[in-house]
Amino acid sequence: MIGMEFFLVFAAILFAIGLYGILSSKRGLVTLMSIELMLNAANINFITFASYSGNAAGQVFVIMTIAVAAAEVAVGIALMLNAYKINKTTEVDELSTMRW
Amino acid sequence: MADIFNSMIDALSDLLGQGIYVLPEIILMVAAVLSPLLYFITKKGTASAVLTFVLMAVSAVVTCIMMHTVTYGTAFGLFEFDAFSSLMMLLFLAVGGLTVFISQGHVETTKHKGEYYALIAGAVAAMMFVASATNLVAIFVGVEVVSIFSYALVALKKNDPRSSEAAVKYLIIGALSSALTLYGMSMIYGVTGSLDLYGPDGIVAQVSVMAGNWPFIIGCVGMIAGYGFKISAVPFHSWSPDVYEGASTPVSGFLATGSKKMGFAVILKIFLVMFVAMETGVLSEDFQMVFAILAAITMTVGNVVAISQTNIKRMLAYSSIAQAGYILIVLAVMSQYAVVGGLFHMFTHVVMKGGAFVVVAALITAGLGERISDYNGLAKRAPFAAAAMMLFLFSLAGIPPLAGFTSKFILFSGALATPAGGVDLTWLWLVLVAVLNSAISLYYYARVVKAMYVEKPQTEERLPIGRAFTVAIALCVIGVIVLGVYPNVLLDLCSTAADALFALV
Repeated sequence: MIGMEFFLVFAAILFAIGLYGILSSKRGLVTLMSIELMLNAANINFITFASYSGNAAGQVFVIMTIAVAAAEVAVGIALMLNAYKINKTTEVDELSTMRW
Repeated sequence: MADIFNSMIDALSDLLGQGIYVLPEIILMVAAVLSPLLYFITKKGTASAVLTFVLMAVSAVVTCIMMHTVTYGTAFGLFEFDAFSSLMMLLFLAVGGLTVFISQGHVETTKHKGEYYALIAGAVAAMMFVASATNLVAIFVGVEVVSIFSYALVALKKNDPRSSEAAVKYLIIGALSSALTLYGMSMIYGVTGSLDLYGPDGIVAQVSVMAGNWPFIIGCVGMIAGYGFKISAVPFHSWSPDVYEGASTPVSGFLATGSKKMGFAVILKIFLVMFVAMETGVLSEDFQMVFAILAAITMTVGNVVAISQTNIKRMLAYSSIAQAGYILIVLAVMSQYAVVGGLFHMFTHVVMKGGAFVVVAALITAGLGERISDYNGLAKRAPFAAAAMMLFLFSLAGIPPLAGFTSKFILFSGALATPAGGVDLTWLWLVLVAVLNSAISLYYYARVVKAMYVEKPQTEERLPIGRAFTVAIALCVIGVIVLGVYPNVLLDLCSTAADALFALV
């Protein structure tokens, strides 16, 4: 059987890639994708812990998270579309009329 | 009288079983479902507003009756209705009721009335679920529902570039915070093997053996960062000024007074209980220090940056960050008396900050701008609004005998008091920072008062204040004065709630 640490390290790398994507990318949609990566890294953690300890609660949490993430992306893309219609851009840098 | 209540509760619990402990939330969810439907049929925003307001009032009455008859218990193993959660529910209902009450007469509110009231009712219901949740899944999903609803509420002021920009920023930062929270929760689940917070196998029961366990610490840090975004603690605060400026004013008030208190409810339910359960371990002291530093930085940054603001909503946003810093003192001190002070400060914050946002909303509806220089000579143009604004701002600064002074006094003295009635000087430096910050804050609040009362107005034209606004402002003024002079009205409830919170350990 594959050791638990492989899954956890994989999830940690995925989380780090997502975090890097949010901090470095200026595009709104890429940010949304990076957030999906981070959420799924946490999901992998939950499933790993659930399956190695034989406790099903973690798997239930993952199903809930998937539903919540879907709702979040649906609203998120609507907001991006709205921002594009009004400001003609979804680049995070250019959405900066308000500062300090 | 008590017999009627008891028989009512008996009948309801026969009907609903365990569901009676989530009855207040269910009533609001009915409002959230019916409000768009009613708008679709009648095409009148007022119908939706009245329905939502009435159902919020019904929910508040049910909550009060359940508190009065001490009908406390757990629903489905997920939601615990106790003295703490019921008090927080009343706070959220008050915030929601105030928002709905002023929205109909407000000029910035969207034309999609049905959806607007549904989003507010749904967000309040989710906040109430979070206040009573005892399980990480319920807390996470509840907080996410509130977040998603708030993104939509911020963006609903359509055709305004600032609103859509604020919504995108809020979305990105909010989603980042929920990802951090989720990763933290997964670590805590991995270490403890449980998603339940309390109970013999719960997370809290296992924290005493967690010192030096690094996945547990990563989990705690992830969750502190995630919920730090919700309460807009520095350095996670950058979204809140943009969002409060971009959103329509009733929504800004709703987020500043409601959504932030939900973050505090979560932090109290998870971290306070967890750290108290650790007793005097090394880990607990480290986390206390983390929260003390967060509190000190949050109040200082909030107050110092507020000085240079020219937009009144942005200034209120920074002052709201500073208020979050004061409440964070509770997490550093972790004594029961401090929790009472923190809960009381949350309530007074609702009347004074909510009141200030109501005044701003009323003035925007009357045609005044958002800049502080637009408030020049307001005392001649709208005397009642100017006087009320002065009371709210002085209360926020903490001038006796207003509510803000009383709650700050209880909060700060709670940080120094020991259960035996003595004085503990461990957190003296934090209290000194907080008192100095109150002095700084007086400067920028007084600047607005000076603009209203000393400066010359550009025109002498009177500003008409709508009737709903007048009533809402008057209610908040009464709240600010009554809670300042007779704090006992609420203090008893707050200390029962603090007892209930500490009983969870």
